[in-house]
Amino acid sequence: MSMLTVEDVSRSFGGVAAVHRVSFALEPGRIYGLIGPNGSGKTTLFNCITGLERMDSGHVRFKDQRIDGLKASRIAQLGIGRTFQVIRVFPELTALENLLVVTRGPRAEAERRGRQMLEFVKLERLAGEYAGNLSYGQQKLVEFVRVLMTDPALILLDEPAAGVNRTLLNDLLAAVSRLRDEGRTILLVEHDMKVVMGLCETVFVLDHGEKIAEGPPGLIQADERVIEAYFGR
Amino acid sequence: MAVALTPAMLGQVVVSGLLAGALYAMVALGLALIFGVMRVINIAHGPMVMLGAYGTYFLWQATGVNPFLTLPVTMAALFVVGLALQRALVFRVVGAPELSSLLLTFGISIALVNLVQLAFTSNLRTVEYLTGSWIIGGLALSKPRFIAFLFAAGVTALAFAFLKFTRLGKAIRATSQSREVALVCGINVARIHLLTFGLASALAASGGALLAVIVAIQPEMGSVWTFKSFLVIVLGGAGNYPGALLGGLLLGLIEQLASLFLTTQLSEVVAYVLLVLVLLVRPTGLLGGRSA
Amino acid sequence: MTGARGAVLAALALVAAALCVYPVFGTGYGIRATLQVFMWIALAGSWNLISGLTGYVSFGHVAFFGIGAYAGAILITTAGWSWPLAALAGGVAACVLALLIGYPCLRLKGPYFAIAMLGLNEVLRALVSYFEGLTGGGSGLSLPTLDASTPIYYVMGALAAAVTAMTYLIITSRFGLRLMTIREDEIAAEAMGIDTFRHKLGAFLLSAAGPGIAGALTARDQGYIEPISVFPLAVTVTMIVMVLFGGKGTVWGPVLGAVALFVIQEIVWARYPYVHPLLFGAIIVVVVLAMPRGVLGLLQLRYRLPRTI
Repeated sequence: MSMLTVEDVSRSFGGVAAVHRVSFALEPGRIYGLIGPNGSGKTTLFNCITGLERMDSGHVRFKDQRIDGLKASRIAQLGIGRTFQVIRVFPELTALENLLVVTRGPRAEAERRGRQMLEFVKLERLAGEYAGNLSYGQQKLVEFVRVLMTDPALILLDEPAAGVNRTLLNDLLAAVSRLRDEGRTILLVEHDMKVVMGLCETVFVLDHGEKIAEGPPGLIQADERVIEAYFGR
Repeated sequence: MAVALTPAMLGQVVVSGLLAGALYAMVALGLALIFGVMRVINIAHGPMVMLGAYGTYFLWQATGVNPFLTLPVTMAALFVVGLALQRALVFRVVGAPELSSLLLTFGISIALVNLVQLAFTSNLRTVEYLTGSWIIGGLALSKPRFIAFLFAAGVTALAFAFLKFTRLGKAIRATSQSREVALVCGINVARIHLLTFGLASALAASGGALLAVIVAIQPEMGSVWTFKSFLVIVLGGAGNYPGALLGGLLLGLIEQLASLFLTTQLSEVVAYVLLVLVLLVRPTGLLGGRSA
Repeated sequence: MTGARGAVLAALALVAAALCVYPVFGTGYGIRATLQVFMWIALAGSWNLISGLTGYVSFGHVAFFGIGAYAGAILITTAGWSWPLAALAGGVAACVLALLIGYPCLRLKGPYFAIAMLGLNEVLRALVSYFEGLTGGGSGLSLPTLDASTPIYYVMGALAAAVTAMTYLIITSRFGLRLMTIREDEIAAEAMGIDTFRHKLGAFLLSAAGPGIAGALTARDQGYIEPISVFPLAVTVTMIVMVLFGGKGTVWGPVLGAVALFVIQEIVWARYPYVHPLLFGAIIVVVVLAMPRGVLGLLQLRYRLPRTI
């Protein structure tokens, strides 16, 4: 049973097809990459999967359950977590509260886990600081562990490496690998090719809303259509 | 309350609806411009209508000149008032969260209404210039409403011509499509904002000026116009200027139709229910357009 | 920290005790004024629950006050209910209205919700006039004479305390945090699994109960209501300016705002009657531009005070 099946998903904005008949499947416990030139529809695709945007046609199945058409909050509750291209922490909540706010269950337990998460990314002393006051990198980390608080089976990361320094990036990537080892599935959108090549087992390539290639990083790198999409003819 | 709908009644509904609709369209166009260009929800739009009515009233009292002919004066005056409001207050919330512009314009509308109340009391005023109706083929055509319709249609046509053909008008349309692109094209966005607010106020004022001959004037008369202008925009599609035209006429027709079957009090409810329904079913309006 | 906490609690207890004892030796005017302040604390505090926490501005909130007044008055006059029960019924009626309005309207995005709420007041006034048989229409409704101003003082005081306490509980809970995420970034909140619609609806219902009860109590206290007296826009304006001034989204902001603006209103009314609505409009403009977080919000930011201020 695949973790996520995307079938024939399309989404247009006033005549321009942002995503056109994209299909792929994700197996559990693997890391996938989604790449493509700017404007190729990657974030739109993320939004369609997570319910933040309605798709014009197509189906999405999460663990064999149809999730297209469901509310975004419902989809998240089913076990899909995501981060955003532009960081979206809650600025007037503290770092710890940002983590607490997505949890259910006993509060004491949630606070304990929250502090643990902050320790994991070495931000425990900033637990009581308003998230809006944190640096870019710190906010990125908070957003990252916030996703993990709900124990998602599928994690969508939108440009996790953007604006992040090397050391922090290595920590993040190590964390992503650990998540995969725990059996979770990860799909990341990324422009940093080193990250994609180093981390992802399978890569999908979008260009002008269509999937033009799919395969292991090495093959994708050499694929003519991919090179054309990025560099032109 | 089951009424047999005769062709004559339907005809009357259509005529009265169109007459009222033109006024709605003109005023709503102003609101649509402010929202389209600045993404500001101007709750003080209704009070602008009210100020236009008072302006016409006082001009008529002072000079005795045909109140329809003093329209340009009232429009010019309120254009300046709009400029002043934008320059002093509203510009500070352009680009801020919508909450701020909502609360700010709400505060301004309260201040305006109460200022007028203090200055002129809430005694009803009227401009008794033209009364009665022409009877044409069994249909009653209210004289003041018909003249108002002609002026409203004229002003609205001028406004659309301005938007479509003049350089400033095109700049306004460009800014409402994309502020960033307009900036890059060398458009002075701040000045466009000023101009738009002034223009919108002038449109509202002309609505009020024409109303002055038709209804009783009092400080609270504008608030229902704010609401109805929003309804028109929602019906026609936010950010869709020709949509305001269609929305206005549609609202006029729907209200007249409703008044056949319901008491006047309940027809207020109709407008409200209509707004909620349309927002729920098609938030981008009947003609499509940008969502908030 | 317990030292400061203990001091605050002691101070609160002292104030509460003084207010309880006040009717014994206070003047008629003093008691009525304090009763009014209690009412405004309840109203402002309730408005804060929806608009201050979630950022969804309710411009028609006086509708709940009015519906509570009419529900209470009708039950007292036609069904002979006692006024305390009628007051509770007013709260329930307001909650039912909140459910009816909130269910469709809270699905709309913030600005559209605000617009929808703008018209609510007028609609209710029209409906009240329409159902004349029940409500007495434009001529209003008279209640059997009863001097209950002292018991009503206590009940209104309890209501003000209850609303403030409820605000405190909400703000310190995860429910409250989730409400705040709606204000901060509704889309991110949805993406994180927070059912924003249910939360908004919950806050909206909670915010209607206080005004509903206050409306019914006021109806009993005044002995007579008519559409214009219980659905005036001025009530919504006053609620809003009190919360904006005191600090929206805080616990004590609405209390501070209620006391401060009531005092200002009384002072201004004594010298220049009818000027205070204009003043309130101007204060809203100034606060939104210069002090959007209100007095307590500003202090909170400056001196890093806890959120429960």
